[in-house]
Amino acid sequence: MVRLSEKNSGIIRQFDIKRRNVKIGYYFLFLVSCIMVFIALIPIIWILLSGFKTLNEFVNESTFLPKSYDIKNFIKTWQLLKFGKYYLNSFYSVIGSVFFAVICNGLLAYDISKIKPFGSKLIFALIMWSLMIPSTTSIVPLFVNINKIGLQGTFIPLWLSMGANAFYVILYKNFFDSIPQSLVEAARLDGCSELGIFFKIILPLSASINTVVVIYAINAAWSDFLLPYLVLNNSGYETVMVRLFQFRTSIATDVDIIRAIVFSIIPPIILFGLFQKYIMEGITQTGIKG
Amino acid sequence: MYKSYVYKSEIMMPTSNKLKRNISGWLIMIPSLFLFGFFVWGPLLESIYLSFYSSNGMRIEKFVGLSNYMSVLEYPDFKAALINTFTYTLWSLVIGFLVPIIMAIILNEVIHLKGFFRVATYLPNVIPGLAIAMMWTFIFRPSNSGLLNIILKIFGIGPQMWLSNPKWTIPLIVFTMTWRGAGATALIYLAGLQGIDSELYEAAAIDGANIWKRLINITIPNIYNLARTLLVLQILSVFQVLYEPLVMTNGGPNNASLSLMQLVYRYAFEKFDYPKAASVSVVIGVLLIIITALYNLIIKEKDM
Repeated sequence: MVRLSEKNSGIIRQFDIKRRNVKIGYYFLFLVSCIMVFIALIPIIWILLSGFKTLNEFVNESTFLPKSYDIKNFIKTWQLLKFGKYYLNSFYSVIGSVFFAVICNGLLAYDISKIKPFGSKLIFALIMWSLMIPSTTSIVPLFVNINKIGLQGTFIPLWLSMGANAFYVILYKNFFDSIPQSLVEAARLDGCSELGIFFKIILPLSASINTVVVIYAINAAWSDFLLPYLVLNNSGYETVMVRLFQFRTSIATDVDIIRAIVFSIIPPIILFGLFQKYIMEGITQTGIKG
Repeated sequence: MYKSYVYKSEIMMPTSNKLKRNISGWLIMIPSLFLFGFFVWGPLLESIYLSFYSSNGMRIEKFVGLSNYMSVLEYPDFKAALINTFTYTLWSLVIGFLVPIIMAIILNEVIHLKGFFRVATYLPNVIPGLAIAMMWTFIFRPSNSGLLNIILKIFGIGPQMWLSNPKWTIPLIVFTMTWRGAGATALIYLAGLQGIDSELYEAAAIDGANIWKRLINITIPNIYNLARTLLVLQILSVFQVLYEPLVMTNGGPNNASLSLMQLVYRYAFEKFDYPKAASVSVVIGVLLIIITALYNLIIKEKDM
């Protein structure tokens, strides 16, 4: 257990704690933190619990807790809405996205950080600049182009779009900058090709940053909605998010939709539970939300 | 020391080697650059191009000058969307900007359970935006089954209309966005706060500065630059709000929450009028550039 008298960070210091009103103030801040956590978690807990309710219970009884915790309701909805198929589709979309996120952004960052060909500084400036460009503003021509080259109804545009992510390029570049140039030079002297250096030396040395990018890419590909919706709508390859949007106006009942929401948020929550250290690290390192 | 070594080795590198490196460097970059071109830079320029043409479905037909812009600006919903979008931005400054800063300062002070507090407040950020919008639609339900009305019932207050009340629609949507993003933004501020030299606080305390004075004179100035950057990014992102009004209210009630970005969505994917959709996107882009420029101007004057 942490002892308050050992507090040596922040504005309030050890010697302040001796004063009674400071001590009370500290516990007040602690209480406020508890309230923040409560506000952050209660909607999620409520939606998870509501998934157990029957339709009648949800609409008419208006209580917080469900009467029973029978998992059968979830199974019924899963089968009714054929979620297995959409989970599988999302899985395909995630796998390809992760592959391109790592290879394309990693290679570009390696190039800018270690090879530095003529003009790479300008390229990096353009990439930084595109962080400020909202992806939604260019969605219309992007959609038209995808249609024109006949990639609608396939996962390919979703996979490739993850290969052009400024945030991941910056994450990689920052990390590669810390790998000694002499290591790369030595490999070059030994006759290793640039691609060889990237795959045999740089990637294996970058396990920690790879973990961050892979987790971000999984979460981004799973959560993405607008592009998958435009590309995959009515193709039979809809991802979980696309289906969720379609259920909104379909014949599904309220509780079925709530369970669909639960199905769509469970994988990210599990992923976060397993890797929260890495996910939160990426943010603190770059100051950009992934 | 290490840097000077790199510098030398580059100078001494024979020209043929340098050329080889430039060529292999560019070859490796090309696939990734192609993707950036296709998904990011290209569509942006095409938006501008497309907005000056008429089209039949996806086929571009002829140059029409500014007529797309004219009809977009005259469209009655445009004015509503424009005002709403500024209202969103304003509310997000009221609700969304200070919350993460205050959260970060508090989380930085609390040492008990601090890991748990950080993880728990960050959690909403990993939940997909669409799922969050749908989740909060259930929470804001006007009937007895919505979570907020269930909570109000405990205090003996009758069910409220929430999202169907035009006065409250935008603030509630902004609240939802803040609920999602505040924990993650707080984490960025927290990283900034932890970069402040501990000795500064000690020295100030010895000089007799109380906790409040330390907050005003040390903590706030140290995260000022960060806050400035994050403010711009926040304005940029809130200005383009789409998912929440699309899912939670579909722009209603009576256009009370219709955003500019949603107008783009309606033009493009409900009316299939791509040039007009592109014109609205360009208008959004131009407005954002103006806002950012004005903002920088004001900040610079203040600094001098």
